[in-house]
Amino acid sequence: MSRRIAIVEDEPALRENVADALRRHGYEVVTFASRPEALAALRTRLPDLALIDIGLGDDVDGGFALCRELRAMSARLPIIFLSARDSDFDIVAGLRLGADDYLTKDTSLPHLAARISALFRRSDLIDSPPASEDVMTRGPLTLDGKRLTAEWNGKRVDLTLTEFWMVHALARFPGHVKDRDSLMRDARIVVDDSTITSHIKRIRRKFQAIDPAFDRIASVYGMGYRWSAEDPA
Amino acid sequence: MRIALGIRAQLLLVLTVFLVLPWLGYEYVRELERFLRDAQERTLAGTAQAIATALHDRPRLFATPPDPIATFARDRADEKGDGSALPPSASPEIAQIVQGLSRTSARIWVIDRDGVVLARAGSLKPPIEAESPPRSALARAWDSVQRATLRPIYSMILDQPTEEFSDEAAAQGPPRGRDVEGALAGILTTDRRTTSDGKAVIVSAAHPIWLGDDVKGAVVVEETTNRVLAERNRAFERLFNIVVAVLLVGSVALTLFASRLSGRIRRLRDDAEAAIDAQGRIRGALASSNAGDEIGDLSRSFANVLARLTEYARYQEQMAGRLSHELRTPVAVVRSSLDNLRAQPMPEDARVYIERAQGGLDRLNAILTRMAEAARLEHALTDTERERFDLGAVVSACVDGYRVAYPQAPITLVLPDTPVHVSGAPDLVAQMLDKLVANAVEFRTDGEITITLGHDDGTAVLSVANEGPLLPTAMTGRLFESMVSVRERTGGETPHLGLGLYIVRQIVAFHGGSVAAHNRDDNKGVTVIVRVPVAP
Repeated sequence: MSRRIAIVEDEPALRENVADALRRHGYEVVTFASRPEALAALRTRLPDLALIDIGLGDDVDGGFALCRELRAMSARLPIIFLSARDSDFDIVAGLRLGADDYLTKDTSLPHLAARISALFRRSDLIDSPPASEDVMTRGPLTLDGKRLTAEWNGKRVDLTLTEFWMVHALARFPGHVKDRDSLMRDARIVVDDSTITSHIKRIRRKFQAIDPAFDRIASVYGMGYRWSAEDPA
Repeated sequence: MRIALGIRAQLLLVLTVFLVLPWLGYEYVRELERFLRDAQERTLAGTAQAIATALHDRPRLFATPPDPIATFARDRADEKGDGSALPPSASPEIAQIVQGLSRTSARIWVIDRDGVVLARAGSLKPPIEAESPPRSALARAWDSVQRATLRPIYSMILDQPTEEFSDEAAAQGPPRGRDVEGALAGILTTDRRTTSDGKAVIVSAAHPIWLGDDVKGAVVVEETTNRVLAERNRAFERLFNIVVAVLLVGSVALTLFASRLSGRIRRLRDDAEAAIDAQGRIRGALASSNAGDEIGDLSRSFANVLARLTEYARYQEQMAGRLSHELRTPVAVVRSSLDNLRAQPMPEDARVYIERAQGGLDRLNAILTRMAEAARLEHALTDTERERFDLGAVVSACVDGYRVAYPQAPITLVLPDTPVHVSGAPDLVAQMLDKLVANAVEFRTDGEITITLGHDDGTAVLSVANEGPLLPTAMTGRLFESMVSVRERTGGETPHLGLGLYIVRQIVAFHGGSVAAHNRDDNKGVTVIVRVPVAP
C-alpha cells in the first residue's frame, strides 16, 4: 500500500504543484488549505507523513498549533515544516515542537521528494538494529547513515534531517574545513549564510543539551566550519 | 547677521518700558507740590485778608502814642521774634489784634503807607518738635536703612528744607517786593522770594488796610515753603520706596520666569538634538512634557513627529524583509511549476525555455535571500550571546579566506603586535567584514585593498580602503541606510541593493561602535572605518 502524505498549505498553486510531484513519486496525497480542515480529516485517519506550511492564511502561527495537535495524536509521525520565513525556524527550535525537518519554500521538488523518502526510511528503521556498515564513528559521535540517527556518548541526539546531513558532512573528514557552499550542497538546501550559521548554532545546542562540554564544531572565520579531530583537552 | 539675544535679555529690554513709572511718580509729586504751594499762598492770603479786615476802618489804630501795653507787647514779640528790636512806631493795639490771629510759622507785619512797621508777630521758624520715635524694632531698622541708602539718593533729586537760614533782608521790615507794592496800591498780592543766603524760600501775601477809600497801610504775612517741601519730600519718599520695591520685585520675578522659560526651551532643544544621531538616524523617543502651555504643546508635538518618523523609518527598514517574505511564495509556485514541467515529456527545443526560466528564478531567489538576510539579522541580534575574543585573530583568519576568494584583488593587512580584545560575536564580525571586503572588491578599479586594525585609546579601529570612484559628499550620511546605493557599479551581474552596508551598520551597533565612510585623503578611493570599544 502506498504511503499517505498530508499537505497543509494555503497557496493553491503551490499546494497542487507539490501534490502532483509527490503523486508522481507514487505517494497518496491528501491536501488541506487550512488548519480546521486538516484537523477534522486527520483526526479520523492519521497520514504517514505531514507537510505543514507555518503561515496558513490569516492564522499566522497556525502551522505550529497544528503540529502540536498532531504530535499529541502520534509521537512518531514524521512532520516537515515549510515556511517563507527563515526566522520561523529559530522559533520552532525554541518551541521544541519535535518536527523532523524545517525547509524554506525554496526547496526544489526533487530535493523535497528525496527528503521525504529519507524520512520514511528513518522511521521504518527506527526499531531495527543498526547494520555496522552504515555506521560512522568519530570518537564519541556515532552516525547511522541508514537510519539517519546520531548518538553522542551513546545518547541519542534528536537532529532534523537537514542537521543530520550537515553533521555527517562535517564529521566525515574531521579537521577539514567545510565552507558554507559545500555544507549547503551536502544538506541539500539553498539558504543564505546566516541560516547556515543558525543551523550550526542549533546543532551545537542540541549536542550541548546532552554534553555541556561539547565543542567539536569549530568556526573558522571567513572560511566555514570544521569538526575537531580530537578532544582539545 | 543674526544677533543672539536670549529671552532673558529681550525681557529686560521690554522691562525698560517700566522705567517710565518712576518718572510718572516724580511728575505726580511735582503736581502735589504745586497744589500745596497754591494752597499755602491762598492760606496766607486768607490770613492777610482776615487780619486786614480786623484793621479796616479803625482810624484810631493808626495813632502812635506808646504806652505800657506796647512795652509788654514788644517784650513778648522780642521773645518770639528773631531778636531784632521792635520799631518805636509799633502800635500796641495793632499788635494785640495781630497776636490773636497769628499762626505758628508765619510772620506777620503791619505796615503803614510809608512802609513803617506798626506791628510784628510770629516767626518764620517753627518750634522744634520732638520726633516721635518709631514704634517697633522693624520700623526702626527700616528707618536706619532708609537713612543710609535711600535718603542720600533722594536728596540729590529734591531740595531738602532746612530751618538754618537767615533772612537778613527782612531785618527791619518786609522787603518792598511786588506784594507790598501791590497791597499799598490796593490789591491783595502774593509773592515769593529766596533768602539772601539762598537756603529758604519765603512766600508772602500782602493785603491793603482800608480806611474808607484810602489805603492806610498793609498787612504782610510771610511763611517759608519748608512745610510744603517737607510734605512733598515725604510723599515722594513713600511713593518711590513703593515704586522701587515694586520694580525690583517685578524684575526679579520676571527674570526668574524668563529663566525658567528659556531653561525649558533649552532643554527641549537638547532633547530634540539628542534624539537623532550624527547620521540622521532616530536614536530614541522624546519624553513629552505634561505642561499645559505652548512649550508643553511644542514638546508634545515634537515627540509626536519623532514617533511618526521612527515608525516610518522602521517601516522602510523592514521593507526588504517584508518584500522578501511576500515574494517567496510566488517564487515557490514558479519553481515547483518548473520542476513539474521538467518531469513531463516535452520537445527538446522547449526545454531550453524551462532552463532560462529556472535561471531567472535562481537569480530572483538570490536577491530575495539577500533581502531576507538583513531582516534575519535583526532577529538574530536579539538573542546572540556575547563573548570576549581577539579581533585581530578573526580579521586575520578572514583575510586568508578573502585572498582565496578574490584572487584578482591583492589585499594588504596591517595588524597591531598585541591582541585587540572586543566583546561581541565573532561570527557577526566576520559577516560584517565579508560585506565590507565584498564592497571594496566590487568597487575597486585598481591597486590593492588595505585592511588596517589599530588601537586608539580604548577604541579598536578597523578600516577597509580601496582605490576607485569617490563618494558623493551629500550621501555619506545615508550610505548605511537600508537599500540606499550611491556608487556607480563597475559592471557585473548582481545588482547593488545597498543592503550590505545596512547589515554592517546593524552589526557595528550590536558591538556598541560606530561606522563611517570617507573619501581617502589622497582622493584615490574610499575608506570605511569601524570603531568598536575595546573590552577590558
